[in-house]
Amino acid sequence: MAALLTVETGDNTAGMVSRTAIPMRDEAALIARAQSGDTRAFEALYREHVDRVYGLCLRMTGNVGEAEDCAQEAFIQAWKKLARFRGDSAFGTWMHRIAVNAVLGRIRKSKREQDRIQVAAERTTSPASIGDSGDLRDLSDAIDRLPEGARHVFVLNAVYGYSHQESSDMLGIAVGTTKAQLHRARRLLAQQLKEQGFEA
Amino acid sequence: MNERRDDKLTAAAQQLATGIQPQRDLWPDIERAITEPVPRRSRWMPMFAQAAAIVLLVGASSGLTYLAMKDDTPAEIQQLRPEYTFARASFGTNHTLGRDYLDTRADVVARFEQQLERLSPAERQDVEQSLEVIREAIDDINAALQQDPDNTLLQDLLMKTYHEELNVMRKVGGVTQSVMSRRDI
Repeated sequence: MAALLTVETGDNTAGMVSRTAIPMRDEAALIARAQSGDTRAFEALYREHVDRVYGLCLRMTGNVGEAEDCAQEAFIQAWKKLARFRGDSAFGTWMHRIAVNAVLGRIRKSKREQDRIQVAAERTTSPASIGDSGDLRDLSDAIDRLPEGARHVFVLNAVYGYSHQESSDMLGIAVGTTKAQLHRARRLLAQQLKEQGFEA
Repeated sequence: MNERRDDKLTAAAQQLATGIQPQRDLWPDIERAITEPVPRRSRWMPMFAQAAAIVLLVGASSGLTYLAMKDDTPAEIQQLRPEYTFARASFGTNHTLGRDYLDTRADVVARFEQQLERLSPAERQDVEQSLEVIREAIDDINAALQQDPDNTLLQDLLMKTYHEELNVMRKVGGVTQSVMSRRDI
């Protein structure tokens, strides 16, 4: 099965990139080329997956700068570990796993999480809500204000559709913990949205 | 009721955007990181670190040798007059040894010369060889300082080397104190 990939090129000075369709490539072929050291092939993989990787990082960190750093780190780590990718899972899932590790590693290294929570509590709009429309922005903002553990599980499980087993593997916690955190996240979200006058 | 609420929440969550375009293109930084060669450490230690290591090694080994031999009874003691001369004491064009250090050094050298006479030829030879190596290092560092008088690394190295020379003499001469600080240069 071939996948249509796009390559973003052009001026980035205004933070915008243009998308130009390139001939259809098979992702497996691109991965094989990248595994042999072809950075152009890896760039094509990056272009294909960066939005979902960055989106996950942004929803987990709630901070544009940290999300950019984590996404970058995820792709750098992916390049280093590419030889070990055997296709047991989809490349996107593999990238997500690396991205989650990048986010967790960054949180462990820094003490900014407390600051982030404070900032999230004070601001009215989540940076991650930029990708959402209408009432979904309120949900996005509410997710951003969740405690770290509940937020991570909710994002992986409810937003990205990973199972409890997959979420627990990615986060390095027990399945029972992800279930408990998801329940906690739902409760807190419902409470928040109710306080804002929305019937969840 | 809770189940209905959870269903609505789940349905809403599934509509949230999973792909968000970064505000800037992250690829240039990623490309730089994956294509730049990993800096490799030089196999060679920096020249100054090598010199310092040699000086410290010589100082330590000569001190240990002296201490090890001190307790042995020499088979034959010959009273020889030492031919000891000062190592050249200059710190490039802009620095000279301070008076305090020179006074301390003169005292140490006097005791050292007295004690040196009591050593066996083998002990003397060991001490003098150690001092010779240290003084060669002093000459080399002094020569480098002539070219680069304000190099603080060289100044520190020279100070440590003088200190080592003093320590060797102090151990032989039984002097318990030697004082040298950066203010001496």
